[in-house]
Amino acid sequence: MSKIMPVDLLSSIKGATSSKAVDQLFEVIKNAEIKQDASNKNTYNAVSIEDLRADVVENSSEITKQIIKENFPNQKNGYLVVSKVIEG
Amino acid sequence: MAISKKPPFLNSDKIFLLKTNEMSLIQKIHNQLVGKEITCTALVQEKLNLLRENKYNSVNVVLDELALEAAAKVDAKINNGEEIGLLEGIPFGIKDVYMVQGTYTSASSDLLKNYKSAYTATAIQKLLDAGAIPMVKENCDSFGHGSSSENTVFGSVKNAINTSLVAGGSSGGSAVNVAAEYTVFSIGGDTGGSIRQPAGYNKIYGLKPTYGRVSRFGLMAYASSTDTVGPLAKSIEDIAIVMNVISGKDSKDQTSIASEKIETSVLTSKPNGVRVGYFKNFIENDAIDPVIKTQFLATLEKIKEAGYSVEALDFFDADTLVSTYYTLAMAETASNLSRLDGTNYGERVEGKNLKETYMVTRSENFTEETQRRIVGGNQVLSQGFSDAIYLKGQQLRKEIEAAFESDFDKVDIVLSPVTPSSVPKIGEVLNNPHAMYLSDAYTVGFSLGQLPTLTCPFGTETGIQVTGAKNKEQTILQFANFLNQVQ
Repeated sequence: MSKIMPVDLLSSIKGATSSKAVDQLFEVIKNAEIKQDASNKNTYNAVSIEDLRADVVENSSEITKQIIKENFPNQKNGYLVVSKVIEG
Repeated sequence: MAISKKPPFLNSDKIFLLKTNEMSLIQKIHNQLVGKEITCTALVQEKLNLLRENKYNSVNVVLDELALEAAAKVDAKINNGEEIGLLEGIPFGIKDVYMVQGTYTSASSDLLKNYKSAYTATAIQKLLDAGAIPMVKENCDSFGHGSSSENTVFGSVKNAINTSLVAGGSSGGSAVNVAAEYTVFSIGGDTGGSIRQPAGYNKIYGLKPTYGRVSRFGLMAYASSTDTVGPLAKSIEDIAIVMNVISGKDSKDQTSIASEKIETSVLTSKPNGVRVGYFKNFIENDAIDPVIKTQFLATLEKIKEAGYSVEALDFFDADTLVSTYYTLAMAETASNLSRLDGTNYGERVEGKNLKETYMVTRSENFTEETQRRIVGGNQVLSQGFSDAIYLKGQQLRKEIEAAFESDFDKVDIVLSPVTPSSVPKIGEVLNNPHAMYLSDAYTVGFSLGQLPTLTCPFGTETGIQVTGAKNKEQTILQFANFLNQVQ
C-alpha cells in the first residue's frame, strides 16, 4: 500500500486532484538554490514569554453564545446534531 | 522624453499644499457635520441607497439597520451641542472577511453564506468605538483566494472606472466602493497584494501595513504569517487617520505590535534626505508591459529631477517570489480552512458518515480556486513533499527577508509598479490560475518581508508601490505625498 495519502483524502474534498498550475510553482521551489548563510538567519517573529497573554478562560457574552448556537447547522429537540462518529 | 518644469516647492523645505482632489474626505465630511450642512442620517441614507443600487457587484450585505442606528446617535450628539470625533459619523465599508457581531460574514463563499459573526474584529471594534458608521460587507475573492474578485459566489466585482475590467482582488469590492464614494474608506485585507492591487486597479490609495501593526483578531485567516488589515481611501491623510485608530497591540492577537502614531502634519512637508531604490529585475525583463515600464521609469526621472538619489537594487526574480509566497500561503490556508467542515457552523451537507460529510460539505461549498489552494497546501505539507518544497520555501523566505534588511540599509524607500500588466478584462484570468499567480509578482515579496507598502493611484496605469522598512508607515506616506506633487 502506498504511503502517500491521496490528495482528496488529505484535503477532505471529494474528487479533489492536484493542479498543473500549482505544480509549476512547486517546481520553481524544488529547483531553487539556497544560500546557507541567509537561511540560518533568524528573522522570524517571536513573542517573549513575558509578553504572552494570561492563560485564563474568558467567559463569552450571552449574545455571542446565542449566535454560536444559531450558527449550528443541524438542531433537533433542543440538541445540536452532529454526524455519526462511531459506526455500529 | 519631455522634461517637466520643476515645481517651485521642490527647491524648499516649506510645507506645500495638497492638490484639491487629495483633500481628506474624512475632514471634509466632519466639517459638514459639525457645521450642520448635512445630517449624518441623510448622508448615511444616501450612501445606503447608492450601495443597494450599485452596478459593480461590490456589495454582499448592506448594513442598513446598524448604520442608521449609529447615524442617529451622531445626529443626536451634534444637536445637543456635543463635540464629535473626526471619525464620528464617517461611513465605511468592511471586506466580507471581518467579524462584526450579528452580521453575516460569508467570505464570499457558499460554505459561510448564512454564517453570522458571534463577535467583532478588533480593528472594526476600534472604528465603531471611534463613531465610524459601518455600511456594508464588501464582495471579495472567496477567503481572499484571488487577484480579481471573480472567485466569489456573489458575482464578479466590476472595476469602478471601466466595468468591463476586473476590480482586482481580493479586496475588490472595498476598492470599488471607495472609488465610487459609496464609502469614505474601507477596511480590506492584504495577504499577498489584496489591498494594493485593487487599489491600483481602481485608482485609489491602499495601505498594507507592517505585519502585526493592526490586530488580525476577527479576520478570517488566509495565510496567518502574511495576513494584514489595512485601509483603502481616496487620500493619504485619510489612510493615516484610519491607521491611527486601528493600529495597536492586542492581547487577542499575539503577533500584534505597538506602534507610533502617524503625524498627519508631517505628511505635507517635503521629505528630506530620502534615499530611493527600485528593483531592477522587476523592470528589466520581458514580462513587464512596455507601457508600465515606460511610465515607471518616467516617474523615477521625476524623482531624480527633484534632487533625490535613485539606486537600482538586485532582488529575487518574480518566479521565485511568486512560488515562495504561494507555496507558504497555500500551506497556511490548507491548515486554516481545515476547520471548515460543516460540523459546528457553515452549510453542512450530510453524508453517510462523518468522513463523507466532511468531504461532500467541502467539495460542494468551496470554489474551484479555494479547493486548488487547499489541495496544493496539503500536498506541500505531506510526507515526501514537506522537505523538498515547504521547508525549502521557508528557507527562501528567510533569504528574501535578509535581502530586504540589507536593501533598507542602503535606501529608505523602494518603489515598484503594482502589477506587471494592465488591468485584465472580466473572465480573462479566472480560468488561467498560473497567470493569475504571476500577476502578483510585484506585491508578494513585500508580504513575505512583512513590510509596509502603499499603493498610490499614479506613477503607472495600475499605480505605484511605495515600500519602507518595518514600522516606517509615516515615511512612506510622506514620500507618497511628495510623489503625488510631482505627477
